[in-house]
Amino acid sequence: MSAVWPVARAAVRRRRVQTVVIGVVVLLSTTMIVVALGLLAASSGPFDRAYAKQSGSQLTASYDRSKVTDAQLTEAARSAAAVGGPFPQVTLDLAQPQMMGSLVAVGRADPGGAVDRLNVWKGRWATKPGEIVLNRNPTESSGRGKPQLNGTLSAGGQTLTIVGFAYSVSQSADAWVTPEQLNALHPTSTQMLYRFTHAATNAELTAGQKAVTAGLPSDALIGTQSYLALRALTAGQPNTFIPFLMVFGWLGLAVAVLIVANVVSGAVVAGFKHIGVLKSLGFTPTQVLTVYLGMVSIPAVVGCAGGVVLGNVLATSLLTRAFENYGAGGTSVPIWVDVVTLLGVPALVALSAFLPALKARSLSAAQAISAGSAPRAGRGLRVQRVLSGTRLPRSVSLGLGLPFARPGRTALTLAAVVLGVTSVTLAVGLGKSLTTYQTAASRAGAVDLAIFAGPNGSGPEGPGAPPGAKLTDAEDEAVLRSAPGVTSVAAMADLEMRLAGTQSDLRVSFYRGDFEQVGYRILAGRWFDGPGQVVVSERFLKQRGLAVGDTITLQSKGKSVRAQIVGKAMYNSGDEVLSNWATLALIAPDLRANIYEVNVKPGTDLDAVVKAVQAKDSGLQETEGQDAGTFVAVVLATVVLLTLMLGTVAALGVFNTVVLNTRERRRDLGMLKSIGMTPAQVTLMVVTSMIALGAVGGLLGIPVGIVAHRLVVPAMANGAQIELPDFMLEVYPAGLLALLVLAGIVISAAGAYFPARTAARTTIAEVLHNE
Amino acid sequence: MTDDNGQAVVQLTAVRKEYGESAALDGVSLEIHAGEAVAVMGPSGSGKSTLLSMVAGLDRPTSGSVVVHGDDLGTLDEKGLALFRRRRIGMIFQFFNLLDDLSALDNVALAAQLTGTSAAHARKRALELFEELGIAGRRNTYPSQLSGGERQRVAVARALMNRPAILLADEPTGALDTRAGEQVMDLLLDLNQIGQTLLLVTHDQQLATRCASRVIDFVDGQIAGERSLERTA
Ligand SMILES: Nc1ncnc2c1ncn2[C@@H]1O[C@H](COP(=O)(O)OP(=O)(O)O)[C@@H](O)[C@H]1O
Ligand SMILES: [Mg+2]
Repeated sequence: MSAVWPVARAAVRRRRVQTVVIGVVVLLSTTMIVVALGLLAASSGPFDRAYAKQSGSQLTASYDRSKVTDAQLTEAARSAAAVGGPFPQVTLDLAQPQMMGSLVAVGRADPGGAVDRLNVWKGRWATKPGEIVLNRNPTESSGRGKPQLNGTLSAGGQTLTIVGFAYSVSQSADAWVTPEQLNALHPTSTQMLYRFTHAATNAELTAGQKAVTAGLPSDALIGTQSYLALRALTAGQPNTFIPFLMVFGWLGLAVAVLIVANVVSGAVVAGFKHIGVLKSLGFTPTQVLTVYLGMVSIPAVVGCAGGVVLGNVLATSLLTRAFENYGAGGTSVPIWVDVVTLLGVPALVALSAFLPALKARSLSAAQAISAGSAPRAGRGLRVQRVLSGTRLPRSVSLGLGLPFARPGRTALTLAAVVLGVTSVTLAVGLGKSLTTYQTAASRAGAVDLAIFAGPNGSGPEGPGAPPGAKLTDAEDEAVLRSAPGVTSVAAMADLEMRLAGTQSDLRVSFYRGDFEQVGYRILAGRWFDGPGQVVVSERFLKQRGLAVGDTITLQSKGKSVRAQIVGKAMYNSGDEVLSNWATLALIAPDLRANIYEVNVKPGTDLDAVVKAVQAKDSGLQETEGQDAGTFVAVVLATVVLLTLMLGTVAALGVFNTVVLNTRERRRDLGMLKSIGMTPAQVTLMVVTSMIALGAVGGLLGIPVGIVAHRLVVPAMANGAQIELPDFMLEVYPAGLLALLVLAGIVISAAGAYFPARTAARTTIAEVLHNE
Repeated sequence: MTDDNGQAVVQLTAVRKEYGESAALDGVSLEIHAGEAVAVMGPSGSGKSTLLSMVAGLDRPTSGSVVVHGDDLGTLDEKGLALFRRRRIGMIFQFFNLLDDLSALDNVALAAQLTGTSAAHARKRALELFEELGIAGRRNTYPSQLSGGERQRVAVARALMNRPAILLADEPTGALDTRAGEQVMDLLLDLNQIGQTLLLVTHDQQLATRCASRVIDFVDGQIAGERSLERTA
């Protein structure tokens, strides 16, 4: 074997272009594979992973402080696998309109511990009395009208400064303060957080609960929350992002595998003559195979290692943002992905080298030597004859014939370009559909200003009490309408109602005024125009097996009202129902609007509007509007990242093909120049051959991408129980299609230009000298 | 050095080689004895290179037997053929077939490394050959920077590295100018004179008459005639 290593090493060192191309292609492909597998892995069970990461509480229990001591609780909890607490707990009535109501606060000295390790994602933990940390999902809007960092809250007669935001996947509290601070707020209950050895089912959880409450006074336990219920809740939420990531995971994987196969097998095919020489010297077939494996493995292993590192970095940042809403902080690539990639990519490279090497082995040494530079080109010659009969410039027609000389290599390159264009098409389409949907469904940006009006004259009095509106509902609406720049005002009151015959509570929003301006889009039916009418979402209908035109009964405060579903609007929630003021009048005629959704002329100063309104009624407060959160940004980042990587890898595939083709054909190219072809014509000829490939790739890849989009998007929507109106599938205007075809051509031309120019510049003498 | 005192180094019996429909070799029987220099001449496409491939074990005959230095090539598997080539055969081609990735010296040393010689030893022996062939100054140059004559001398050095039983040369001067061609011719002649068995393919009458003691004429894959020569040199 002592002769094998020097030959392989020399090939790696001296064939720089080949070595670099293999290295870079494997690097980028490995990166894509890691990102792709990371996406696929993360997409399965994100809740469980977030829960595991935070060591989430499986059973969160509240005990009556007057019935049981901390020592008793700790003693009883010994059967649990892990315990958090006892922590003092109190429910605070808030004096802020934004929070609307009460807040469960827990006294905890630190956010870590054995159970419920909180993700303090903004600011810091509370370290002394007077400080409070709020539980907030990192993806939740923190825009206008929301409590801000360093803002204050008034509760229980005390003013607390918000020093940080944390997130608990276990949803163990709304806010945390230091234990000292909490004791000053007069806690009424004690919180215990448990993890059990067996907690996969409700029965196991119940058994665990029995064990940790054994021996405690029977009425000490006030309430519990099981993580299984939380999980069921999360699973029911639509997550359009997961199928999106999975589609890209698979596409990236396919493109990476194809290009690696093309590049590596190309290196071996280009080496047939070299193989023949080695054989004539007495290299055994195994030794030849070893030389070739070594030659491609060295750059491939380096590329693979680099790709795993790069892939982890990219995937972690992408996944962390994609799964931020699970709130557990950084989502990283599971270790099995790295292991699979580190084993799989070299195996793929070896296999790609192995297949053509087997072919080389079946050639006799004599044939391999005479395989020489140029491929035998029966079909190529025929195509060339046809092309030369056309009126195209000779350098163009010669170029168009080139791909036919190596049909296998051309097919692999074409497949990669087609898949590349398909993925880019699909990426752009999905990105557009999803962002359009998300923007529309979340009503992001549809309302310029949301104003909260507390109930007139009711509620707690005194310093820090929520300011009730000073004027009546009608007066407030008039104030808003007359404010400078205001173009529309929709007044809204909401009510918790029960859907008759079910156990589920609904939030019904009753609108008055310009409700058609607040961003809901009617997908079917129409808006309500009289009493006893509601508009619902696709999810609402799907979950309850109802259809537009059906009648439902809503109950609240002992009253019930029959309402016909007159329309379906686009929004995500299955538990929200829209209705109108005329319907509200049938149930709660005295209820005033608590939210006004206001739109203004473009360029209007919102702060000025708020000031002007508050000058008339100091009880009006600005509250949070809707935004699309980070979803759109993550989708766009993913699309851009994948598009760039796929484009680069596809261009490298073309680059490699052209390097191999021109090297094989250097004698022909020298000959063409010797009979008077200029370097520019030679470059044109070679680039033409690949532009043709790119154009064909575009023409095949775009329709495939569009069809895939048509299939994938509705499937995604269906899985998420949402409905995408048809217009959201129409995301490919003619201009974009032209741009996509152009993308295929640009990718090919960019890949082809440099090797073509190099080939064209080689002097004839140099070519002849080396043949 | 007559036909009867040398033993047969090469013995071809009724060798036939077909490529598809047509036969490149059509019933060739031939013996070459130790120390002989045999030239094969004939028009292009008459099967000369195919004959060398058979002798070198680069390809297998469709029928007939090839025995070289006592080895019946028909009984060897691929690995056996490779071992046979590295130990018994030295080959020189019209277009040199050096490995572009290796320096001149490493190209030559490689042949010895294949037989298990250490790199240092192989280089030492290669350098000796370079000095004998007058190309020691070019040892660290890569093939693409050598002239044709220099490349062919490197190829000769490589072929001689393992002291082959027979040196096969396929148009060794075909790609060289007259002067470089003559130098390679002289080199082959010298080698033969110190006992190296030689099988040479050429259509250069002068090369044949200068180097060979026997000329075999090939036409359409068959031996059309055989002449003994008084060497001019
Ligand atoms: N690998 C091969 N495949 C097909 N035909 C071949 C191959 N090698 C040689 N031939 C054919 O065999 C015949 C003899 O070729 P060759 O031995 O190269 O002739 P020469 O060296 O005398 O010019 C020719 O007709 C040639 O086309
Ligand atoms: Mg020949």
